[in-house]
Amino acid sequence: MANWTTVRRIMSVLLFLLAWTILVQFTGQFHQIPTPAAVFAALFQLKLGVIFTEIFRSFVRVLCGFLLGLLIGFPIGVAIGYSRIANYLLFPAVEMVRPIPPIAWIPLTVLFFINIESQIVFLTFYGAFFPIVYNTMGGISEVDIRLPRAAMSFGINRMGMLWKIILPAAMPQIFTGMKVAIGITWLMVVAAEMIASKGGLGYWVWYHHTVMEYPMVILGMGIIGLCGALCSVGIDVIGSHFMKWRNIF
Amino acid sequence: MKNQINTIPEKINESDFVFERPSFLSKIFNLKMVLNTASVLSLFVIWGLLVNFGIYRFVLIPGPAEVLEWGIKWMGSKDFWMDASLSTLRVLGGFTFACLIAIPTGLMIGWNKIFSDLTFPTLEILRPIPGIAYIPIAILFFPWEEASVAFICFVGAFFPILLNTITGVKLIDRDYFRAAQCLGSKPRHIFWHIVVPGALPSISTGAALGMGIAWMASVAGEMISGKWGLGYRIWEAYTLIRYPLIVDGMIVIGLLGLGSSTLIRFITLRLIPWRKAITESLDESITK
Repeated sequence: MANWTTVRRIMSVLLFLLAWTILVQFTGQFHQIPTPAAVFAALFQLKLGVIFTEIFRSFVRVLCGFLLGLLIGFPIGVAIGYSRIANYLLFPAVEMVRPIPPIAWIPLTVLFFINIESQIVFLTFYGAFFPIVYNTMGGISEVDIRLPRAAMSFGINRMGMLWKIILPAAMPQIFTGMKVAIGITWLMVVAAEMIASKGGLGYWVWYHHTVMEYPMVILGMGIIGLCGALCSVGIDVIGSHFMKWRNIF
Repeated sequence: MKNQINTIPEKINESDFVFERPSFLSKIFNLKMVLNTASVLSLFVIWGLLVNFGIYRFVLIPGPAEVLEWGIKWMGSKDFWMDASLSTLRVLGGFTFACLIAIPTGLMIGWNKIFSDLTFPTLEILRPIPGIAYIPIAILFFPWEEASVAFICFVGAFFPILLNTITGVKLIDRDYFRAAQCLGSKPRHIFWHIVVPGALPSISTGAALGMGIAWMASVAGEMISGKWGLGYRIWEAYTLIRYPLIVDGMIVIGLLGLGSSTLIRFITLRLIPWRKAITESLDESITK
């Protein structure tokens, strides 16, 4: 007996592809958009060397920005969440800058940094920064108060409290924040590369748009999606390594 | 308050239970207010100092005074209102469409297993593609620029709303469904009286999130393919070397984004009065 859930799930994707083909083939509005078959055919025209360099470039930028965001955002998030004075001192300033979307920083960044590489890395860093800060802070403030109290009654010191109790308890939400952050990082890298035109997947997509090779554009979108999903899964794997106690239940 | 236990209940005055009110001065000059003000002020002071002394390449960045001057000039012109209203309309258009499609789909996915199997895998494949990557397709597909920017906003807002709606439905206590079934509810009753209200708090979160991302997407869309709008304006300000205008544009975008998110929280709070009742009673117990 076939497993109906799996069948339906595969059907879902097939139905989507079918709907896409029908819409493109038989309606006037969509005629410029390539069919799935054309996209699939474009897969074989890919120059592997070229596409892998572009993927590698984007990946390096994303990882640099993300790691910088983690290195700077995580301590700030911990400080705001853990110390009252740091909260009073830092939180209003952070709260004032946060509503400005990272994409709106592009012109100022282009103005400020000479090196295009550092422009893109700054933008990805900025995209990753706020989700990490906010989720670290939120995770710490939502720790069950009974855990620190229990630790306190066993005579734990302030550092031990942070490392042994607060951070592990806040870990799930910190990793949620990191997942959100890597999504925004990919978004930022695509936007920055489209504007900076200095290689990378975003530029690759934009280039194929300007030379009107639309199947390649859709393929590029797919590759970007795949890379984003890969990063997200990677963070899940790292997260489950850090939160082994969750697997017990 | 001394011998309270011995006093007769009728003789207890209300004033026995009222805490002493903090004086006006101590309200203003407590640690929190001082540090908060210092925080906001230091943001502007550091910005001003960095620009003033031209450290590294901060010479190129406009200072606070300049930004204020240009901002006032810009606010007075007709361009500003045109830009702001057009951007807002695009974001609202994309956002409304996203809500109209994402919320029903999310409710169905969370509620109905078969529907979930049929649609969720496809959406899960499409989800990691960032909204910005849709720009070429949007330009290609919509001959009308307004629609292409609104479409990018739509893509940006769609997935946060969808995912939060699904989570909202999944988080509803199973007992409600069982109870409703025991009392003989039909599926449509369950849908309207359990699934929809149960998912509302989560939908509200998703909508506020989606609104933020829609603003971000609108800026990107307008930078690349716009003729009007705030995103276009800051890009134009960059190319025309009107640098203070960039910062003004950023501030206006930030304020509009913040305002629309707050508006959504306010509206959805109206839709979930039971939530409001909880928070209000908490507020009262704290303030009194």
